[in-house]
Amino acid sequence: MAKILIVEDEAHIARVMTMWLERHGHHIAHATNGEIALDKLSRDPVDLVITDMNMPGLDGLGLVKVLREERRLTVPILLVTARCDQAKLSEELEPYDVRLYRKPFIPSRLVADIEQMLQLTTVARSNES
Amino acid sequence: MGSESAHGGYTGDNLVSIGWRSFRAFWTAEEVPRWFGFSLVLVYLAGLGAVGQFGMSKVRTEARDYFRSSSEYAVQSLADRLGDETKGALADSARVSLFQRGLYDLAAHVPVGWVHVIDGTGKIVASTIPSEVGGATTVTPGDLADIEGDGEDRFVRIPIRNGQGSSAKETVAGVAGGDDAESDNEVTAFFLEARLLPELPEASGLARHVGTLTIILVAMGVLFGLFRCLRAQLRGVRHIADRLHFYGDRIDKELASLYIADAADTVTATWNKLIDLTQELRETVNRSQAHEELARVLERSGGGALAEALNALPDGIAFISDEVRFEYANSTANRLFGWDAQQSKQITLPDAQAAGIGGKALDIIRGAQRPDGSFETRAEVVESDESEIVDNSSYRVWVIPLHRAHHAGEALVVIRDVSQQIRAERSREDFVTQVTHELRTPLTNIRAYAETLSSGMFDDPNVITECYNVITKETRRLSRLIEDILSVSQLEVGSIELHLDQVDLKTLLSEGVRDVRGLADEKNIDIQVQLPAKTEPIRGDRDKLAVVLNNLLGNAIKYTPADGDIIVGCQYSADAIVLTIKDNGIGIDPKDHVRVFEKFQRANDPDVMSETGTGIGLYTAREIVRRHGGDIELISQKNEGSTFMVRLPHRESRAAALSTQEEA
Repeated sequence: MAKILIVEDEAHIARVMTMWLERHGHHIAHATNGEIALDKLSRDPVDLVITDMNMPGLDGLGLVKVLREERRLTVPILLVTARCDQAKLSEELEPYDVRLYRKPFIPSRLVADIEQMLQLTTVARSNES
Repeated sequence: MGSESAHGGYTGDNLVSIGWRSFRAFWTAEEVPRWFGFSLVLVYLAGLGAVGQFGMSKVRTEARDYFRSSSEYAVQSLADRLGDETKGALADSARVSLFQRGLYDLAAHVPVGWVHVIDGTGKIVASTIPSEVGGATTVTPGDLADIEGDGEDRFVRIPIRNGQGSSAKETVAGVAGGDDAESDNEVTAFFLEARLLPELPEASGLARHVGTLTIILVAMGVLFGLFRCLRAQLRGVRHIADRLHFYGDRIDKELASLYIADAADTVTATWNKLIDLTQELRETVNRSQAHEELARVLERSGGGALAEALNALPDGIAFISDEVRFEYANSTANRLFGWDAQQSKQITLPDAQAAGIGGKALDIIRGAQRPDGSFETRAEVVESDESEIVDNSSYRVWVIPLHRAHHAGEALVVIRDVSQQIRAERSREDFVTQVTHELRTPLTNIRAYAETLSSGMFDDPNVITECYNVITKETRRLSRLIEDILSVSQLEVGSIELHLDQVDLKTLLSEGVRDVRGLADEKNIDIQVQLPAKTEPIRGDRDKLAVVLNNLLGNAIKYTPADGDIIVGCQYSADAIVLTIKDNGIGIDPKDHVRVFEKFQRANDPDVMSETGTGIGLYTAREIVRRHGGDIELISQKNEGSTFMVRLPHRESRAAALSTQEEA
């Protein structure tokens, strides 16, 4: 059971993600763009961030940069994109330790991957402590 | 010379150094004036002759004097001795042999010419020359010159007295005077008659040889000096001959191969200058020939028409000759390089300078040049800097080697403005990116919700209904999107065709409103159509104009809050019909007015983004109107509603305008 922030401007996509993740027992917060997400994160920290790439205002890449460079956040980040130039994007994202996910996605697989990422973080944390 | 310099002060020093330098110069014989060697030799010879002459005469005079005085003394002594010895009564024969012996003694010890003993009658009784004995003396008293005199031959006659010394002079004088007082003397019948000087040789053999040798040595010295001089002069000539041979063997006849590297002397230096001059002349001739040839070619192909044609080309064209010189550049090339048309022919590639695009093109040309001077084919795109007046212009620079035989360095440069092409490429890339993105969003929804249904994990009926609704809605969106994309791509490639017809405005508008009435009713939006009493049909494509109306009305409904109002109107202006669609919705910020008409672009506004949309509607609408020869204008402020004005050219008004013009 983890706290997950979904940053997505497309309401239906955010909704279906929420449905699936809540079904697996996670707490979901939702933001429609990068600025709102940053605002929510500063008030309520989460265990994992799922963000869309193309959004009005601060987009996914900008959000990732702020989270990793300014806020030094180490939580797993999953970036979901419909962009076709993924090679270029993954090159840009290389320094930020971000998992890239392609649209259209299969919800069950997305959930499974998120579970795996959360487990890895938990193991890493327990090793540290 | 040392003492001379000591006495002569500065003048002496200077003379010494000048003399030494001259000598050194003569000896090393690199650069001696010709007269110097000769005059030096002449002076030397003259000096040698004068010294020799003086020495010889001195020696000769001294030797003569010595011989004369010693001979005279010896003859006198012999006369005295013979007088003494014959004092007794000696028989004539004994006396003669005594005389003879005395003469031999004399001849053996003293250098005299000859000595006779003569009797009173002048008969030779004894002589140093035996063959003369018995003969008569040939010496006359006139030959007996004064002893102090300077004659060469000197004859003396001395009486042989019996024991009584008497000076020869007196004797001679007595004889010469022909004095007969001798008669009282018994034994005065005999005289010694002598030629005092022997036959002196003119010069000894050794002296002659030394003289000859000296002359030979001097001559050899002169010859050697001349040889050195000549050889120094000929060295340059030999080098020139070598170079000429070398040049003759070469195939390419490169004038530079005639250069003499070691140009120490004036001959080779002059030669090198001559080569330089020749080369310059050859280049000038070549260049003028090339110009003439180009002019001839242009002339032949239509009297400068080709040149005009080249200048009229939008592409920059430049020709680089073998000497990496810009042999030709047309007007466009000169403009891009910022060169004057006349001046460009003198510019070489290494010296060429240009700003902006021209400078970048020069960099490419230089980059295409191989180390051996030839060019390789290049085609690169350069973009203008932002600081330049013409922004975002791209040029493609081609460097094309010409591969003519013996002209490896020739190349053609073509510079073409490819801004349009590049922009089209980029917009196509953008289009594909946008389309992919736009298609993926509904696809993602359909797939995700379909899986939600099929997973069996969600049994809440509300969720299932929601899933079906989303799938239906997104499928519709997808098909609409595909249609939009198809129409956009048709517009893009220009394949959209207008089926022109008389379109009744009232019907068009009422049908358009009817199509969107359902959507408007959902939000309780009122649509009013305000038309003039009488409308005239317009010429256009009925279906395409319906799409325009549908897109504009759809937007108006989408971005107008519930209970809003939409007014559709129509006005006639002088040359156009203007349809207006006015709403009191969220409005569009003026900064987005251009953007909203671009394909796949929507106003950068959260209120807009919250509505679904592809960003194609306004683009399509405007393109269709533009195909009809009209345009769409937008009047809007944020939160103050929007008015889209569709201006379509009015056929009748156009005809009227034309007829008015004709009347005028």
